[in-house]
Amino acid sequence: MAFLELTGLTKRFGEVTAVEDFDLTVERGEFVSLLGPSGCGKTTTLQMIAGFEQPTAGSITLEGRDLVAVKARNRGIGIVFQSYALFPHMTVAQNVAFGLEMRKVAPAERQRRVEQALALVHLEALAGRYPRAMSGGQRQRVALARALVIEPEILLLDEPLSNLDAKLREEMQLELRGIQQRMGVTTILVTHDQTEAMALSDRVAVMHRGRLVQVADPLQAYENPLTDFVSSFLGKTNRLEGRVLERQSGGCRVAVGETTFEAPPPPDEAAAGGGRVIVSIRPEKVEFRPAGAGLVEGRAAARIFLGDHWLYQVETPLGVLLVIRQNAGPAEVETGGSVGLAWDPAQVRLLPYEAQA
Amino acid sequence: MTRNGPFAFLFSALFVVFMTAPLVVVMGVSLTPEGFLEFPPSGLSLRWFRAILENPDFIDAAWISLYLGIASASLATVLAVPAALAIGRRRFAGRDFLLALFMSPLTVPTIVLGIAFLRFLSQFGLNGTFVGLTLCHAIFITPFILRLVLASVTGLDRTIEKAAESLGASDFTVFRRVTLPMIMPGVVGGWVLAFITSFDELTVTVFIVNPSTTTLPVRLFAHITQTTDPLVASISTVVILFTVGLMFLIERLYGLDRLLVGGEGR
Repeated sequence: MAFLELTGLTKRFGEVTAVEDFDLTVERGEFVSLLGPSGCGKTTTLQMIAGFEQPTAGSITLEGRDLVAVKARNRGIGIVFQSYALFPHMTVAQNVAFGLEMRKVAPAERQRRVEQALALVHLEALAGRYPRAMSGGQRQRVALARALVIEPEILLLDEPLSNLDAKLREEMQLELRGIQQRMGVTTILVTHDQTEAMALSDRVAVMHRGRLVQVADPLQAYENPLTDFVSSFLGKTNRLEGRVLERQSGGCRVAVGETTFEAPPPPDEAAAGGGRVIVSIRPEKVEFRPAGAGLVEGRAAARIFLGDHWLYQVETPLGVLLVIRQNAGPAEVETGGSVGLAWDPAQVRLLPYEAQA
Repeated sequence: MTRNGPFAFLFSALFVVFMTAPLVVVMGVSLTPEGFLEFPPSGLSLRWFRAILENPDFIDAAWISLYLGIASASLATVLAVPAALAIGRRRFAGRDFLLALFMSPLTVPTIVLGIAFLRFLSQFGLNGTFVGLTLCHAIFITPFILRLVLASVTGLDRTIEKAAESLGASDFTVFRRVTLPMIMPGVVGGWVLAFITSFDELTVTVFIVNPSTTTLPVRLFAHITQTTDPLVASISTVVILFTVGLMFLIERLYGLDRLLVGGEGR
């Protein structure tokens, strides 16, 4: 039996369907991200798990127990909000102790557990401070300690790092992942940030327009997206509209405009659509060849230095292709220079055709 | 911070003089040794302050005003806080009507209100009673509290209450431990404003008092229609000092600008 099970979960607000027929199972101790653009229904799903929204249809069970009928305050779920949502009139220690007070934990035990939780987030020294006298990162830690101190069945994180600056965000990501693994708490993170989702999660659940599109571990979702949307939303990709020319043993030949190249077998949907497919090639899978020796020829229109890698825009008959190369010395191609582009046919992904969203 | 130019300074100075001049005059007059109103006073004497003690009916009236202010401000607060919570963050049919209803004492001419209250209280046999006065004052001062509490409610981050709920707090505990402390500046500010409004209310009150429940403003008003001795000035001075003291206390506790103007502060 799965730990947390969402089945056919649906939420409608009047005419608008926020979440539709959402199925997900989460194992004990797992870290799952709900990932998608704003308005995809991820926050609504989180609110339903937390008990702040009632599902229109479907069920939520925790170890086989129905959660929908349980009030939010009895669900034993810890939540960290994007706005931190600390109690401004209470000190850090009082904030963290609140959930224990509600559980009628004896004062001595309460104090011990508050200290423990604050130590976990390295805030022992600030126990007596008020939230307004703290930085964003510190407040976020208090919120995390407050949610964890009650030893929740599930930890829900609602865009917890979005308000932090980039460097602090990376630090907090590592720390969050460390704490989650040490405590072994089942965690669901809601985020629109695909790098955050990939960095933290055991599995990502990509949502689009209220529906779950793909659930997979981050590498799998990145390398083998099921749809055009997942492929474009997770990382950068070169998205081309193509047509399957002929099937071959172990793959097919695909045409984009006048150019043809080899690719893995097309998705089943391609046959129905007259062979139309979306061709997705990740920029880091594209390699440079001397001019005239590539699968496609082009001209380097722009080059951006990003520290650990170079990002090139190459004008080709297929359109402008992005190419990412590791920074292993000076740039391989000058701006304006002619260059050939090539890739391993196995790295091409053919996806069911969808009109550009 | 930008410095004000000479004209802005002049304007501000004139404004302050205009606002405080009557108070200065009243306080000056109260120090006169003479038996009539004169300004500037020809000498300095506490004669008319001693006179207050010889007029127990003024002191009784002051106590009634004080009790009335506390009772009606507290009653109005109990009404206004739930109303502000409902109006401030729920959408329901009749919300605008409810808000307009609570605010209406500000728009109805006070003399009309006075006559209406008189009629109303007579109907229930409450005319001239302290209970009747309290009810009418509570209605009259509710808008002041409602406005301030509403301002602090609308700025409230609801996820804070959700966080408390998910930590296991019941609805009432959320209100008592989280919501109320967060809107407290608005509640206290509203209470003080309401208390002061009740304390010096005359137009409405004059219709609904009887000799045993005469408030200080009504008593003063009655006094100056008969005589013009400086007793009214000395009593006014005491009231002014009392109000200033109250404001000072609130300022120390909460910060006046935060209460009356709003915003973060502290």
